[in-house]
Amino acid sequence: MVALTSPYLWYTTRATGLVTLLLFTGVLVLGSLVANRVGGAAVGRFELSELHRSLSMVAVIFLVIHIATTVIDSFVSTGLISVIVPLTSAYKRVPVALGSVAFDLIVAVWISSLLKTRLSNETWRFIHWFSWLGWAIAVVHAFMTGSDARSGVGLALVLVCALAGLLAGLWRFFARPARAAGRTALSPLSPAPAPEPASPRDSRRVTPPRERTVADTAFPRRPVDDQRRRPR
Amino acid sequence: MGMRRRSGGFVLAVNPIQCDGFGHCAELAPDLVHLDEWGYPIIDKTPVALSNLSALESARLAVRGCPRQALRIERVSEAS
Repeated sequence: MVALTSPYLWYTTRATGLVTLLLFTGVLVLGSLVANRVGGAAVGRFELSELHRSLSMVAVIFLVIHIATTVIDSFVSTGLISVIVPLTSAYKRVPVALGSVAFDLIVAVWISSLLKTRLSNETWRFIHWFSWLGWAIAVVHAFMTGSDARSGVGLALVLVCALAGLLAGLWRFFARPARAAGRTALSPLSPAPAPEPASPRDSRRVTPPRERTVADTAFPRRPVDDQRRRPR
Repeated sequence: MGMRRRSGGFVLAVNPIQCDGFGHCAELAPDLVHLDEWGYPIIDKTPVALSNLSALESARLAVRGCPRQALRIERVSEAS
């Protein structure tokens, strides 16, 4: 086919590679923002969370395009199996292998998030930690493999991504709030809550306001400076 | 048909062990969830009618949006 010998697939591979790195760095930073409970006033915390989810979908799509064009293109011979299995590529054996490993990790994180409601939250979180490893390997892969990543704009992009991800990681691990970081200012969806709920639905409630119980707040069971401050 | 299915009510229930006080539920379902001063949710245990579709939808959003999956919707037969 003409398309297989034309340079455009190869150009697509190079371009989507850089864009994918940018997108996953954005996903990483957004995930850190969610985990460290940023937001509440100007932007809702749930909005950052939704953005994290949506952007990760876009990033996965770009990653699939990046890999598909690499495999289909005949300019370099990586082979279909090297998409998943490391060290099976004839072209740039080790750098492409890093890409395979990063892809495997990202797929694991992706599938676990798709199955999130069927997994225990602890399992999902454990798998989700590997996104950091996948991203770090992807950065090295981008630097070692990328035809544009050794100079000029490409190098600048890779460096910016590496720095952003590194800072996000440090901030995520060391500036993590111990459990709840206080009340959010609520989303733009609603005004600040009145002490006494006064929505129209409340007129239907005939029961008087119930006293708070331990089960409501769950706060007395948790010491403020508990052991789970550090990631397990 | 639809009428029978919508009879009864629901309560948004939180698992206090799982909850880490992210506060997403209070943003997504501000009519159902309030936060205490530490950021943990206080949810009224009075059942809400299933026919209250906006409340049900916001409860579903809160369940989906909880980063710790600490929320669930419990159906009860009677809405008071």
